[in-house]
Amino acid sequence: MSEPRVSARNLGKRFRSRAGGRRESLWAIREVGFELGAGEVLGVMGGNGAGKSTLLRMLGGLGRPSEGEVRVKGRIGALLDLGGGFLGDLTGRENAVLAGVVAGLLRREVGSRMDEIVAFAELEEFIDEPVRHFSSGMTMRLAFAVAIHTDPGVLLVDEFLAVGDLAFQAKCRQRIEALRNDGCAIVLVSQGMEAIRTMCDRALWLRGGRVAGVGEAGKVAEQYEAEMREETLRRTPQTVPKVVGDGRRLEARRNRFGSGEGEIREVRLVPGKGVASGGPLAVEIDFVARCPLPTPVFVVTVTDRDGRVCLDLNTQAAKAPVPDLDGEGSIRLVIDRLDLAKGDYRLSVGLFRADWKHAYDFHWAGYPLSVDGPSGGKGPLAPPARWLMEGGAR
Amino acid sequence: MTAARSPAMRRLQHRADVFRVLVGRDLKAMYKRSFLGFGWALGLPVVQLLVFTLVFRRVLAVEVENYPVFVFIGVLAWGWFQSSLAEGVGLITGNRALVGQPGFPLVVLPHVTVAVRLFHFLVALPLLFGLMWWGGIRPSWPWLSLPLLIVIQYLLAVGLCYPLASMNVLLRDTQHVTRVLLQMMLFMTPVFYDVGRVPDSILGWYSLNPMVGMLESWRAVLLHGAWPDPRVLAVLLLAGAVFYALGRSLFVHQSHRFLEEL
Repeated sequence: MSEPRVSARNLGKRFRSRAGGRRESLWAIREVGFELGAGEVLGVMGGNGAGKSTLLRMLGGLGRPSEGEVRVKGRIGALLDLGGGFLGDLTGRENAVLAGVVAGLLRREVGSRMDEIVAFAELEEFIDEPVRHFSSGMTMRLAFAVAIHTDPGVLLVDEFLAVGDLAFQAKCRQRIEALRNDGCAIVLVSQGMEAIRTMCDRALWLRGGRVAGVGEAGKVAEQYEAEMREETLRRTPQTVPKVVGDGRRLEARRNRFGSGEGEIREVRLVPGKGVASGGPLAVEIDFVARCPLPTPVFVVTVTDRDGRVCLDLNTQAAKAPVPDLDGEGSIRLVIDRLDLAKGDYRLSVGLFRADWKHAYDFHWAGYPLSVDGPSGGKGPLAPPARWLMEGGAR
Repeated sequence: MTAARSPAMRRLQHRADVFRVLVGRDLKAMYKRSFLGFGWALGLPVVQLLVFTLVFRRVLAVEVENYPVFVFIGVLAWGWFQSSLAEGVGLITGNRALVGQPGFPLVVLPHVTVAVRLFHFLVALPLLFGLMWWGGIRPSWPWLSLPLLIVIQYLLAVGLCYPLASMNVLLRDTQHVTRVLLQMMLFMTPVFYDVGRVPDSILGWYSLNPMVGMLESWRAVLLHGAWPDPRVLAVLLLAGAVFYALGRSLFVHQSHRFLEEL
């Protein structure tokens, strides 16, 4: 390998806080070191507050290391704060030029790539409209398209691939793959092990600001997952198989997932596990937040025997006011009419982080529900329905 | 349209492009959805012109020859300086997206603000010239010094924006203090009155305000058709260069802390 594109040696960043009159200093990252050559992809993983973002900032030259040094060769491209600088009153094209120049291109370079950018963002018809008429998805696609067409020597990516639909995400991956084949070195921060495994050559795992593992991506991802499982077990005493309602068992990693920062203690179905089709159903969830959980999302899903989702409700989509949680409480979902066809169903109940990044606790298909009513047809729905005949009779 | 050969050339070209694109953004953003468009650049100065003329000529009976021209010069030049600093102080705190962009040349930002305000100043000039023509003032050779006056005031404004913007990151009080000081400075600058009215006993202190010499020079040229005092200009140019150099190096020195303090 020739000279590395990115090298970090004994990198450390200390923050001082003056909270409450006392001076405290805290190492966000410390003794981090790696080298990355052209065309290599390094995955960075770790929990919240492990120092991933600080590392990215240091690599991007945003802030001075307290210890050690960073060397980067070539222009740095970043998929960090996408669309942050967009102005609603300017057209998509004007914003694209702005974003491109801000990202390090010359005006004429943006100009010569404009068609490509517009095509990539799939905004041919709208590019000369003011961005305030764009949906948030369109804005993100445009921001992403610009950022990814800046031909950087080093690309820093923070949790992307949440942009647009699956087709667009696939295109983004292809584009990143192409950049890499052109020799771009990529640092990819991700919580998703799948992305780490499929896209990265090597991985760096940060824990509490220090390197907990570094090496071949698949291996580090495995170590990380193993520790996460242990961590979940350690954090959640109840993760030993827990018996719910009818004797079904919830087991970690089989039908129970989550980090355990919040826990669903008990789920009660009212009037009971058997309800009448078209009748009411209430789902009462007792939970406990073991640490402050900012506006988490409660989810209740009803699936049929084959695993088909019949109903999927969550507090975020319903705009139900869930405050920041800390401690015990309960929440109640009231369904006025459950118009499901006769049959056996299962309820999944979950508590998720506000940004859906991971579940605090998720009981997958943990609660059986049988719906009683007149049988008929194959569909999962049994809404009130009538046939009305008019004319045509002999 | 040749490819930038050396990295240094490219860097320079890139800064110029950043400047151009951001100035364009600010101008477009300010006027794109408004009916009067760039006419608004005239709004505030014209209102100030009318109010000052009414109050000081009619109500207080101030005796200054050609008072509307006198006061309009003051209002425009002061307005450029004042709005540059008032806006410049929030440059870093109000531009998080740019501060978080790797490799973005933040040093360009004060230039953008002062240039946008300069543009407003220039847009209002035809009105001033009209007023001057009406007041019997004709172009004269000393007008050739106008670009130099613009350069000096530009340097002063950018040179002050640098330290203000970087101080405001650590201490948000800076922006409030700046606004109060600018309000006070309006009265300690000969915008609507003549320097001749200032008592000799405090004139020394009074003249420490660079905008005093600035306005005197603007008026010497535009109102009296005279060459500005070269000694005053030399001092102001030196002050501008020093402010610029010191302010910029403070700004650059602090810039690595900007993101973590936002």
